[in-house]
Amino acid sequence: MASLSSALSSAVQSLGADTSALEVTNNNIANANTPGYSRQVPVFQEAAPTEEGNLSVGNGVVLEGFQSVRDQLVTSQIQQETQAQGGANAQLASLQQIQPTFTTSTQDIGTQMSALFASLSGLSTDPTSSASREGVLAAGQNLAQAFNQTSTTLTSQQAGLNTQVTQDVSQINQITQQIAALNPQIAELTATGQDGGTLQDQQNQLVLNLSALTNVSVTQTPNGETLSTGNGTPLVEGSQSFALHTATGSNGMQQVLDQNGVNITASVTSGDLGGSIQTRDQTISGLLTSLDTLANQFGTAFNAAQAKGFDQNGKAGANFFNVPSTIAGSAANISVAITDPTKIAASSDGTAGSNGNLANLSAVQTTALPAGQTPGDAYAGLVFQVGSLASSATAESTATTASLLQLNDQLSSVSGVSIDEESTNLITFQTAYEAAARVVTTIQAMFSVTLAMGTAAAE
Amino acid sequence: MRVANMVPDMQYDLQLSQQSLSTALQQVTTGLRVNQPSDDPAAAATMSISLASSANVDQYTKNISSVTSQMQTADSSFSSMVTSLNTAVTLGTSGAGSTVSTANKQAIATELQGVLSSVVAQANASYQGVYLFAGSASSTLPLVPASTTYTSEAGTVAAPLTAAYPLTAGSVTSISDASTGKTFVFTATAGETIAQLSTAVANAATAGTLSAGTTATINATGQLAIGSNSSSKGIVVSTNDPALGAMNALPGTEVANSYAYVGNSAVNTVQVGESLGVATNVPGAQLFTSGANMIGSLNGLITALQSGTSAQIQTATTAVSTSLNSVSQQRVPLDNSISQLSSQESFLNQETLTLTTQQTALVGVNLATSATNLAQAETANSAVLAAAAKVLPQTLLNYLSQG
Repeated sequence: MASLSSALSSAVQSLGADTSALEVTNNNIANANTPGYSRQVPVFQEAAPTEEGNLSVGNGVVLEGFQSVRDQLVTSQIQQETQAQGGANAQLASLQQIQPTFTTSTQDIGTQMSALFASLSGLSTDPTSSASREGVLAAGQNLAQAFNQTSTTLTSQQAGLNTQVTQDVSQINQITQQIAALNPQIAELTATGQDGGTLQDQQNQLVLNLSALTNVSVTQTPNGETLSTGNGTPLVEGSQSFALHTATGSNGMQQVLDQNGVNITASVTSGDLGGSIQTRDQTISGLLTSLDTLANQFGTAFNAAQAKGFDQNGKAGANFFNVPSTIAGSAANISVAITDPTKIAASSDGTAGSNGNLANLSAVQTTALPAGQTPGDAYAGLVFQVGSLASSATAESTATTASLLQLNDQLSSVSGVSIDEESTNLITFQTAYEAAARVVTTIQAMFSVTLAMGTAAAE
Repeated sequence: MRVANMVPDMQYDLQLSQQSLSTALQQVTTGLRVNQPSDDPAAAATMSISLASSANVDQYTKNISSVTSQMQTADSSFSSMVTSLNTAVTLGTSGAGSTVSTANKQAIATELQGVLSSVVAQANASYQGVYLFAGSASSTLPLVPASTTYTSEAGTVAAPLTAAYPLTAGSVTSISDASTGKTFVFTATAGETIAQLSTAVANAATAGTLSAGTTATINATGQLAIGSNSSSKGIVVSTNDPALGAMNALPGTEVANSYAYVGNSAVNTVQVGESLGVATNVPGAQLFTSGANMIGSLNGLITALQSGTSAQIQTATTAVSTSLNSVSQQRVPLDNSISQLSSQESFLNQETLTLTTQQTALVGVNLATSATNLAQAETANSAVLAAAAKVLPQTLLNYLSQG
């Protein structure tokens, strides 16, 4: 037969369970805006009943523990999408800084090239005009500077990305150390059947931060999460993390090496590190090669046309541009070779008044360079290339952002803290607590009555 | 689906809305749809090419403006020369009559010398420092009075030049002959001396480039003397060889009414269209001392009037008349070019309009459309903000606190 004592014990258990539930609610509310936090729910279980003859009497509630609500599949999808977003954003950031150099302005190569040919055309009306000759010289210098400036912009971006590679690798190493440190603690909890809770949240957030930096694959093992890069290079195994290193490669750029010194640069394809490497080694390198080729072939063609004529003093036309002997570095180093405007080889017969060779110089504008395009078309191709790359990066960044929003909504629908929901829980657990307290009060009153029975009989 | 938190979605919607607003605002303020290559890579690339075409068209238009004045000045000189030649034909015809006295012929000859001077002045006309009829040698007077002998600055009695005297490699010595209307040019190579120059001059005289009897010798005062036959119309000599110094006409050897053409026959062409160039000058080589030979024919008429018979005067007048016809013919291409420039200027104006329209279509925005877009973006942004303001405070706690 159930006693008042057992009833009181059951009520006190209820008070304890409700208090704990309120603590969980409180914690959920407190972490409503904490990145990576998964809401927790109290796990109540009915206490084992007491068998009394044919009767089975309930013994109240038992709080089994707290459970974090997670969706591992969506979490994994978010990690992958974050890697893609990191790569796209890294490319976009660089290309947005490169774009203005290729935007039509008074400074860009296309405009300066047009200005040079216009000045040559103007000189043809009076080849002896000093002012017109000065104009051609100035236009040539402006064009060379536009090549120099554009090359500098590209190489500066490349240098910035090179520094970023080192910084990213350093950050990756810090994060993998933290993840590895959490693995044994989480493994210890899960081994005893407990939820990873806050530690698991922290680790998930660290993996997400890592995903923003590089492509990483995550495998769950009894010892915790094992992380590796795209080519399988281990980053974290159990409590051990494997640091990546950087070293200057043959191209002068920082290469990423695994713990054994193996170059894994090519296998880093996403995240900020992957995006930085791809932009540095492929995108900007490709643009620089095209730019150098244009500068070299243009300068060489112009010099060849200059050599066909005579300057104002009747001498054979000397080089107008200083063009490097190799394609690489041509845009950065092209310069105007002459300072004396009379050295412009406008004449085709050696007389100062002849403008015959200006036709040869002007023809450079409409003649295909060895690469197969006219200088103007080659530059327009570069403008298209830069625009297309930036446009693609923008589209990818936008798409991954939208996709991440959707995935985060999905995860939030499972793991997110709803203030409204927690408010109702608060009221629910408060009410339950009050009810349990009332039970205690009632039993106390019953105890008093029972004790009073004895006292009354004695009187 | 359970909705835990609407803030991230609201922030994303706000971001998208503000991006649209920013884009619409930028398009209205710049008037451009393409502000950077990524806005429309193909349009940005085409724009680059189109702008190059615009720059060329602008320059062609400037070229037309520049050369039109020059060509009109040349045409004006042509006109004056034609008038002068017409006057000469009239004077020649009047002097060819059998009853014209010798004194009147002399007077007509004197008047013709004035006509000749006028023609020479027009032949030496310049525009902004450019001699219009000198070919590409446009910085020097094309018609220079001829003399029979030129001597070098270098060489004295005490220190005479010799046949073995070395010339400066690369130096150019030219002899323009008023009789043949041709110019002999000697470019010294390393090791060449006055002897080689003398031989070359003799060969040129044999070949007919120079008048027979033209020589290059060392004279009694030790100078290089280049001289023509005393009966010829004379020569003009120039050199840039510092070893010889300037070549000067020997005083007293000037040939009356005779001029040598020291210009060349080069024609300068100026681009005024993508595939259109116009010749901007008429070199005097075929006008003054050969071809139309204006100077020669006028010189001949003066000589005939001074000492010739009526028949000779008539013949000389016919020569001037022939020269006049030739000059008129050579003027036609110049006039055609001036006319062509005028029509090309109209074409280029149209081309500019076409390119501007193309560029606007490529990167510009329709102002009405962009203004509408901006209004729509503003409305959309306001709607998102209003929704955020209404929805975000809607919480259970809010209701409870109100209750």
